[in-house]
Amino acid sequence: MTDAILEVVGLTRRFGTVVANDDVTLRVRPGDVVGLLGHNGAGKTTLVNQLVGLLRPDAGTIRVGDADAVEDPAAARRHVALQPQAQAPIDGLTPRRAIELSGRIRGLSARDARAAATALAEEFDLGPWLDRRALPEGGVLSGGIRRLTSFAMAVAAPMPLLVLDEPTNDIDASRRRLLWDAVRRRGDEGSGVLVVTHNVAEAERVVDDLVVLHHGRVVASGSPARLRGTQDSDLRLDLQLQPDGQDPSTAANPTGPGTSPSVTIRRQVRAGRRVLLTVPAEEAAAAVTWATSLRDEERIDGFSLGPVTLEDTYLALTADPKPRPDAIEREPETSEEEPAHA
Amino acid sequence: MPEQTPPMPVQTLQTQPGTSPTRPATLPAPSAAGALTTYSTLLRWTLSQIGAMLPLIIVVQALLAAGIIVGFGFLIPDIDPATALFLSTGAPTVLLLTLGLVMVPQGVARARTDGTFHYMRSMPVWRPLLLAADLTVWLIVALPSVAVAVLVAFWRYDITLSLDWPVLISATVLVTVTAAAVGYAIAVTLPPLLAQLVTQVLVFFVLLFSPITFPLEQLPHWFQAVHEWLPAAPGADLVRAGLASDTFAASGRDLLVLGAWCVGGLAVSLRALVRRG
Repeated sequence: MTDAILEVVGLTRRFGTVVANDDVTLRVRPGDVVGLLGHNGAGKTTLVNQLVGLLRPDAGTIRVGDADAVEDPAAARRHVALQPQAQAPIDGLTPRRAIELSGRIRGLSARDARAAATALAEEFDLGPWLDRRALPEGGVLSGGIRRLTSFAMAVAAPMPLLVLDEPTNDIDASRRRLLWDAVRRRGDEGSGVLVVTHNVAEAERVVDDLVVLHHGRVVASGSPARLRGTQDSDLRLDLQLQPDGQDPSTAANPTGPGTSPSVTIRRQVRAGRRVLLTVPAEEAAAAVTWATSLRDEERIDGFSLGPVTLEDTYLALTADPKPRPDAIEREPETSEEEPAHA
Repeated sequence: MPEQTPPMPVQTLQTQPGTSPTRPATLPAPSAAGALTTYSTLLRWTLSQIGAMLPLIIVVQALLAAGIIVGFGFLIPDIDPATALFLSTGAPTVLLLTLGLVMVPQGVARARTDGTFHYMRSMPVWRPLLLAADLTVWLIVALPSVAVAVLVAFWRYDITLSLDWPVLISATVLVTVTAAAVGYAIAVTLPPLLAQLVTQVLVFFVLLFSPITFPLEQLPHWFQAVHEWLPAAPGADLVRAGLASDTFAASGRDLLVLGAWCVGGLAVSLRALVRRG
């Protein structure tokens, strides 16, 4: 007996030789907001498409409510509303009309659908756009308004399970906040919510649990606090490198030339021109001293010290052991540094 | 009165061991919208998408009708009334087939690329209703072209018609649905570029090599035999029998062949809507 609204066990799906989902197991309970994180191509959308019965898994089971989504996808679809990654087809419709139609299809009466459209417009501050017709050539409704409309269409009727695939794409900062609040609210009202996103920092505020997908596999899952792992004993030192600047932390051990770091580095992640270092809280002063000297020597543009965030964990989890385009940049630097330490 | 099952909240609100009392109960799945509601909602949705283009489509249909009737007339300089009648009563079928075999695949191809196809299939909608709503829209787009073609023929050749309404209406609907279903099947089965190519060839075939605007007897024997199994000639015969019932008649075989194509097209389209990749 399970109380989950979504239960995925051992899900595997291949496209030719590519394993898009590899033995994925996850569950979403009513009231829970679960974030599904992963890079592009991690297999998130493949997973979503199997939940709504648009793709058939090669192995594994999916239960949505009491329906077996693999055997009876039509029954599963009655329990789930999907906001797909692509824009919803609303050309020729006004947002109001689109929300109403979506609500009607999900079983709302005409009156309830109208009320839902009005309430959602209020919730997302859509007022000025509500009765403007979306045109194929764009212009009238921005990508962000279309995306919010698409979200509103998915939540027009209260559903046991909501699956949102990158709901914050194209949405401006202030409305993104509205949207995340709305996602949380749907959970609090009893829906199970699966949010696919790569917006780790924002998702962290609203999700109950996270599942990190990497090359089709679940590499971590659990609450944000659990995934962050280090709790309050660690801090994050964020070094902003100069253009073409080398990562000073590769030399940040006591024998490193030109540095005086008595700083223990528990984890090191490179993200573009930033280097995120996890350091023990008791070494905060040493870390600041070291970073300040780096800045004074103009080896970095700046730095910040703060609590460890989920983003650090996420980047560490999905840092690829195999060379990938973003990782290749780093390789020569490391190999150049290494003879100096030898 | 059968005994009613106790309402859900009574059970779910009870605190179970190991469960937080604040955890919300599973929301009930909304009761599915009725078939008629779903169909009319989908119809409104799809019509709105075509929306502003609808008058333009009808105008283009009218121009095509005029093109066929006036243009083919140029090919035959001293056209006699019998040939004019044959040409004029074939023109609507050409239009209906072209619409089904060209515009429908293009529409479906667009829906596949812009995500509409995917979106609609992710909703709790009984698949045949998706197809039915789409076909209805194409029917709405197609039907005016019959009237337009007939009007152009009146104006150009002063033909005399003898309408058999029940035959005309059912033949027109059957030809349109068949063409649209076959077009839909092509678009959902073949990769977009190949589908485009196939429809181009088909329209050429319909216009020039199908006994729609000229009698079957003008084709070589072997080609006549081929056409006995294709939908173009039977469709044309049926529509013609509805437009000039005094002059032309259709056979039960026409109906059977066209019906078979219609069922085949619908089956392939439905399979594509249901199928999971």
